Amino acid sequence: MNRVAALLLACAAGVAALPAHAQKVIRVWHTETQPNSQEVMRTIGKRFEAKNPGVKVEVEGLAWGDLEGKIMASLAAGAPPELSHGQPITCTALQAKGLLLPLDDVVKALGEANIWDQVKRVCRVGGKQYGLVHAAGTSLLIYRKDLATKAGLKPPKTWADLIANAKALTTSEMAGITIPGDNLFINILLGELLKANGGIFFDKQNRPQLTAKQMIETLEFIRELTRYAPKGWEGHGYLETFTNLYGQKAAMMYQGYGRGAGLIEKSAPAAMANTDHFDVWVKPHGPSGKEPAAQVDEEPWMLFKGAKNTKEAIEFLKFFYQKENYLEYVQTVPIHLFPITKSLRADKDYQATPMIQRWKSWIEVQEGYLNKDQGKPTLVIDWDDMTSKPYLMEVLGSGILRDMVMDVALEGKPAKDAAARAQKRLEELLKSKGYLK
Amino acid sequence: MRRALIAVGVAALLFFTAFPFAWMITTAFKPPDEIFVSPPELLPRRITLANLARLFDETRFAVYMLNSVLVAGATVLLTLALAVPGAYALTRFRFRGRESVTATILLTYMFAPIMIIIPFYVLMRALGLVNTHAGLVLAYTAFCLPFALWLLRTYFQAIPVELEEAAMTDGASRAQTVRHVLLPVALPGVVATGTFTFILAWNDYIFARVLLAADELKTLPVGIADLYNASVVDWGMIMSAGMLVLVPVLAVFVFLQRYLVAGWGSGGIKG
Amino acid sequence: MSQHASARTGWLLVLPALLLLAALTLYPVAYGIWISFFNKHSFFPEQEFIGLANYVAVFGDEQFWHSLELGAIYSVTTIVLQLTLGVGGALLLHEKMPARGLIRAISIFPYVIPTVVAVIVWKWLLNSQFGLVNYALESAGAIDRPISWMGRDWIMVSLILVSVWQFFPFVLLAVLARLQTIPEELYDAAKVDGASALLRFWHVTLPHLASVLFVVLLLRSIWMFTKFDTPWLIIQGGGAEPYIRTLPIYTYQRTFAYYEAGRGSAMAVLMFLMLVAAAALYFHLWRREERL
Repeated sequence: MNRVAALLLACAAGVAALPAHAQKVIRVWHTETQPNSQEVMRTIGKRFEAKNPGVKVEVEGLAWGDLEGKIMASLAAGAPPELSHGQPITCTALQAKGLLLPLDDVVKALGEANIWDQVKRVCRVGGKQYGLVHAAGTSLLIYRKDLATKAGLKPPKTWADLIANAKALTTSEMAGITIPGDNLFINILLGELLKANGGIFFDKQNRPQLTAKQMIETLEFIRELTRYAPKGWEGHGYLETFTNLYGQKAAMMYQGYGRGAGLIEKSAPAAMANTDHFDVWVKPHGPSGKEPAAQVDEEPWMLFKGAKNTKEAIEFLKFFYQKENYLEYVQTVPIHLFPITKSLRADKDYQATPMIQRWKSWIEVQEGYLNKDQGKPTLVIDWDDMTSKPYLMEVLGSGILRDMVMDVALEGKPAKDAAARAQKRLEELLKSKGYLK
Repeated sequence: MRRALIAVGVAALLFFTAFPFAWMITTAFKPPDEIFVSPPELLPRRITLANLARLFDETRFAVYMLNSVLVAGATVLLTLALAVPGAYALTRFRFRGRESVTATILLTYMFAPIMIIIPFYVLMRALGLVNTHAGLVLAYTAFCLPFALWLLRTYFQAIPVELEEAAMTDGASRAQTVRHVLLPVALPGVVATGTFTFILAWNDYIFARVLLAADELKTLPVGIADLYNASVVDWGMIMSAGMLVLVPVLAVFVFLQRYLVAGWGSGGIKG
Repeated sequence: MSQHASARTGWLLVLPALLLLAALTLYPVAYGIWISFFNKHSFFPEQEFIGLANYVAVFGDEQFWHSLELGAIYSVTTIVLQLTLGVGGALLLHEKMPARGLIRAISIFPYVIPTVVAVIVWKWLLNSQFGLVNYALESAGAIDRPISWMGRDWIMVSLILVSVWQFFPFVLLAVLARLQTIPEELYDAAKVDGASALLRFWHVTLPHLASVLFVVLLLRSIWMFTKFDTPWLIIQGGGAEPYIRTLPIYTYQRTFAYYEAGRGSAMAVLMFLMLVAAAALYFHLWRREERL
């Protein structure tokens, strides 16, 4: 027994001592967990290693739920990765604490004018770019074109139109619309809808505005809309809503994304996998708003100050965005991973990607939102929020907004009461963090 | 009549336990368009090996499996190496503080594992053991040790000390006695303890998630969870992963269950 | 061997285990208790000492009490079901039957697989649109509309179902092993005295099982009360989380989503104290079983 123990401990010590290469290691954490995306990221890493001997790239793909926890654990241990994806509001929060380094070198290498304005707005503080979006897609209102045409439905301009359409499309077999019930997506939905209704979450003094008319109307709209959602929608995750759509259990999807096109092609009946059956409408606005609003799914790369090999990491990012690599990357989920550079968007190889050809209208709607500045990251109403409100990350994680929506939509509480309760909880949260006196 | 009731009971038990696995296996062999059908069909119309192929081509499942076996195996060895002498000391020796040691062991389980994650990570970082299998093995050993000590202690307590005293009177040294008299009798208990330790290490998710960064070091729970969370949920592939996790376990278990049942029993948890 | 040498050898043998435990378990626990007296952002190093303020805040937090209630419902229900199924299953498998080894092995399966696999399989079975369970229930006429197993009304049931399925074999194994050591003569004597099966169970089997059940009850209570993996994995990818927000889940959220490490630690300490109190109560009630 003792011999075995001794041998084991010796092995453990040996293994622990092994990774002491003279190599420079760049750790890269990303959130594109699809197997093909992961493979491409690893390949890009290997290509970079081939060009830069003495450098090792460790790529890891993580789901959202785990990423935040890992970033936190690594920061707590004083050993963050060199590069990581993150939500735009996470980037802002980290930058506010001085934990990030600027990526202006990479911006210069790509060409400042070459990057969409929408993208540059994310995590730009004091004229410096602290986060660089890896790809930008917007949320989409996907609908069954064949069914809508049959019912003679028109594109919804207002919320009332959307409710009417949902009602018209509801049958005993199929719900009118499907929306995800988990925390992240309810927050995304609320952000979109509030903006489309001309409202704000917090005023300039960081006071929550949940009891304002715009939010009440939004809550009541959600309650109405979810009447046409499948029973138990509150337990549906993001991926399940796609399943509902192509499994023909729901006729519309408020929070679809470009990757839906890939899922439809993979799992819907072959005859239906096209834009004649699944197309997108521009989102409607609310009674107190004027314009549509969509969420931009644009997670920035962040470069951590406390990491070891930040110079090499910058070189890696420049390499990542080079056409040969970047094109392969965005092609792993074509309609969803929208390139941040105008040059790649216009590039004929990109245009020729078969999926892009097939689902053109989906791309055009996304571009429309981006060009008209109607797309914003989660919980961001105005671009200012990104720098003036570094507490959005905690607001998202707290689930307070989601509980409010559930109170109204599931528990049948009056919107005013639910909003008042959530307002109180938010005030307590902000006070404890020192953002509110 | 009694036989019939027993048969029905056993059938129900087996159905409850095994049916989900059977469903997992049939799904693993179904092509995608047969998975999302309503009403669901029990058996695949066309059996396909494509899900399995995808599992091995597109993911590092084989690596995850190997990692799990290595880590869990090492944990068992280290845990037993520490727990056997420890439990032996707790039962065969009188020394001050013996009882409080036992109580402390139980107490350490009462602090929810999720809360010690961050200080644990910081500690591992200081030791340079983050992103290594060695660090994970240490974590699991620490986690399994209290239970292992307690289990082994009860087994050793049930074995009459007279056996060893007789051997030592005959001139055997303590070490010889342990090896030739105690351990053979206690073997079922040791195997049972080792097996429970293996299971705890094999199934852990949260420590592996936080302590490991590199994909090629991942263990099965983390690897499978990532597959599940991946943007395109490939049920066929996930179910084949689950199925493959089963097969070696089934084999090991049929072999070990004899020891497990005997081990628990002789573990003298007597009144 | 002299008394001194004995004691010394004894300590030497147990020391490696104790050192490992002290370093890797006691330190993090101590740190957790320490930090519960501070206001600390989980991400960043700044912290300020606030004494018992975290604990006061926790007691005044309605979500804490709600989570405690959910956790209690979850623990008690799963434990009762695990015990029932485990004891029943053990009694069944104690009988002679062909392929007994194989049947026993299969019965233990759910305990052996990673939680993530158990959750994935059951989430698929319980899928409201495509799952087999709804289909079976509808075909049997038990329900006329699909049940939404991950929705607000049924998610607690789903969680309990998966947890019972996964952990009842632990009880089964323990009880079965103990059953095998009960001498046949006791049953024979009881039969001779004219005792029915039920009486035999009550007077012969149960007393022998008492100590095993005591241990099993204690361990399962600790583990179900602090269980994090199962509810957490059910919530991933969709599941009405507020309705299974047990204390471990809420504690995790306070630490990793609200980023309040101090508050989270305070809640963990309170959970710990609750368990200690419960364990003390157990031991007091079952004092004669103390020599475990």
